[in-house]
Amino acid sequence: MTTTQSTEVPTQAAIPPATSTAVRVQNAVIKYGFIFVTVALFLYFALSEGSFRESATLLDTLRYVSVAAILGLGVTLTMAVGGMDMSVGAVAGLGVSVAAQTMVVHNQIGAVAIVAVLAAGALAGLLNALLIVVLKIPDMLATLGTMFVIQGSKLILVDGQSITPGMTLDDGTTAPGKFTDGFLRIDRGTILGVPISVLIFGALTIGAWVFLARTRWGRVLYAIGANPEASRLAGIRVGAYRALAYVLSGVLASIGGLILASRIGQGDVSAGTSQLLEAVAVALVGTSVLGRGRPNVWGTALGAVLIGIITTGLTIKGLPYYTQDVVEGAVLILALVFSFTLSKRRST
Amino acid sequence: MSRVRLPLAALSLASVSALLLAGCSQSTDASKTSGNTAASVAAATGAKPAPFSEGTVKVALVRQSGAGDYFEQWGNGAKAQAKALGIDLTVYDAQADNAKQATDLSSAINSGAQAIIVDHGFPATIQPEIDKAVKKGIKVVVYDVETSTKGVVSTKQNDASMAQAVLDVMAKEVGKGAKVGYVNVAGYAALDKRNTVWAKEVAAQGWKQQFKVGKVTDSTATDNVPLVSAALTQHSDVTGVFAPYDELAKGTVLAVQNKKLQDKVKVFGADVSNADIQNMTADGSPWVATAGTDPSAVGAAVVRTTALELAGQLNKPSVEFPAVAITQDFLREKKIENMDQLREALPALNLSQVSTADWISNVAH
Repeated sequence: MTTTQSTEVPTQAAIPPATSTAVRVQNAVIKYGFIFVTVALFLYFALSEGSFRESATLLDTLRYVSVAAILGLGVTLTMAVGGMDMSVGAVAGLGVSVAAQTMVVHNQIGAVAIVAVLAAGALAGLLNALLIVVLKIPDMLATLGTMFVIQGSKLILVDGQSITPGMTLDDGTTAPGKFTDGFLRIDRGTILGVPISVLIFGALTIGAWVFLARTRWGRVLYAIGANPEASRLAGIRVGAYRALAYVLSGVLASIGGLILASRIGQGDVSAGTSQLLEAVAVALVGTSVLGRGRPNVWGTALGAVLIGIITTGLTIKGLPYYTQDVVEGAVLILALVFSFTLSKRRST
Repeated sequence: MSRVRLPLAALSLASVSALLLAGCSQSTDASKTSGNTAASVAAATGAKPAPFSEGTVKVALVRQSGAGDYFEQWGNGAKAQAKALGIDLTVYDAQADNAKQATDLSSAINSGAQAIIVDHGFPATIQPEIDKAVKKGIKVVVYDVETSTKGVVSTKQNDASMAQAVLDVMAKEVGKGAKVGYVNVAGYAALDKRNTVWAKEVAAQGWKQQFKVGKVTDSTATDNVPLVSAALTQHSDVTGVFAPYDELAKGTVLAVQNKKLQDKVKVFGADVSNADIQNMTADGSPWVATAGTDPSAVGAAVVRTTALELAGQLNKPSVEFPAVAITQDFLREKKIENMDQLREALPALNLSQVSTADWISNVAH
């Protein structure tokens, strides 16, 4: 590919770095390398596998990654304040159980379920904020703790059982409700041929980008992430902003939970657990996009699309899931090289 | 610094290209070695009907989970049979992630597959996708999935035959009017079907059921030991205990041994795996009989069923795979230690007569 450029390594360091071809090439590699990899993989699969090119397959790929992507947006927000949210998968899973409980057991309409799920997500975010901001527990450890607490309490809520329409309840009666058709449309419905979950993913990406890159609040979040002490001295209410990031992350994770619930169509107790690592991975991959070296919304969205392309492409090629894990891991490591090794070197 | 930096950047891109190349070469390897089971192939004699006469047939296998001894062997059987039939089989494995299974099924529908096999899954999750596939004219064969869609071929292990096979042995071993125990759990479709057969057999044999205990947990075998032990303390006069699920049977075996009743109480289980065979043939094991299907043969038979459906020769909405009784005496006499040896000693496990035709090369021994 572009590796032929390496022959242009200057033989002496006397050339001023800003004008040297090598440095310009290197900067381009850092800035566009990841986009290039994504496009290259896309073309490779599109040219070699006819069914990969179909719009239905591509929309399915986006539908598949929408949950990890939305969870990744939450992780991105917490990474912006220098933190990390390990509870997003558990919160999404909680959303699935709450949605099932509301509609199937309490026989409520879809809108009530949506409000209940979002409230549960916000509460989980508040719990994280309490532990991290008030009780001063390191973010990774605090959210890991809430992850277990949420996974466990979710099971207590449903008595360790998957909630299915028509199941027998503790008092011997039959569950009165079901997943409403309107609620199931979240993932199964389309508008102008595009799955609604993909539209939600797109809207949230734009919303998160505007918030993080185009508003004062977003700049404050990055400032806190870069230097909390300086931010405090500048008069920023650091605690309040960090709490905001975790609450938003919780709400985003619960939106992911809504999509999962609509996709599965019953209260699957194991839902969400597999999403955590993918969400963290896409947020980390995202740090390398455009050579930013820091969490950013478009990077996360592109990271999710890249993971989707790899998963779908390799599946169509007939490779088992464990080889996909290896490739995904290699891509993550490569992204981290871009993000940390190369861009750090550039800044020194 | 720049002398170091550029090669590093180049190296990163080079590694990506290597990755891509690796992707290419592996995919061709995978298609060559996908059916690497020890199965021998009985050659087909008849002429292939359409669509098999027209070239490679694309089939997708969408699985809820492919992990664990049972599901791995099932998958190997399916791959081997697909290879023997010249089917290009794409396997989607959701790794027990139900949301992924829904999108996998959706991808399979768009992949241009002529038939889709759905192995397990929540009806609420996959039903709408199955409807879509049928509407698109794709042949759908489900294994162990409850579905209401017309035109879908339903396949499953015959749980009633499994219970009956063991209970026939039990009837001979303990005789009419015996005092018996029962370890089972309600609420699981497969176990409920085995329960129906048990209830009939108890009535027919005039058995006196002394206790019924059992629960299903993350570690079913261990968690049933105290339950069965307590029941045996109260009713040590039973001569046979029926535990129609291998995890329940393992727990029962441990309980019988704890109470030192292995000379008086015989355990009758269900299902068979490598671990179960070890358990039954161990010294002093009270587990005298079980019944099961060979997962590898079942996987192969599901693929043959799909092939017949594609060729328009199946002409029935469902296929069931009968179970075969396996006794402790048989295992010990033939010195059988694992599933491979069992398959050789017990050809009935191969399901070689199920869903077959003269144009199908059968991978059954």
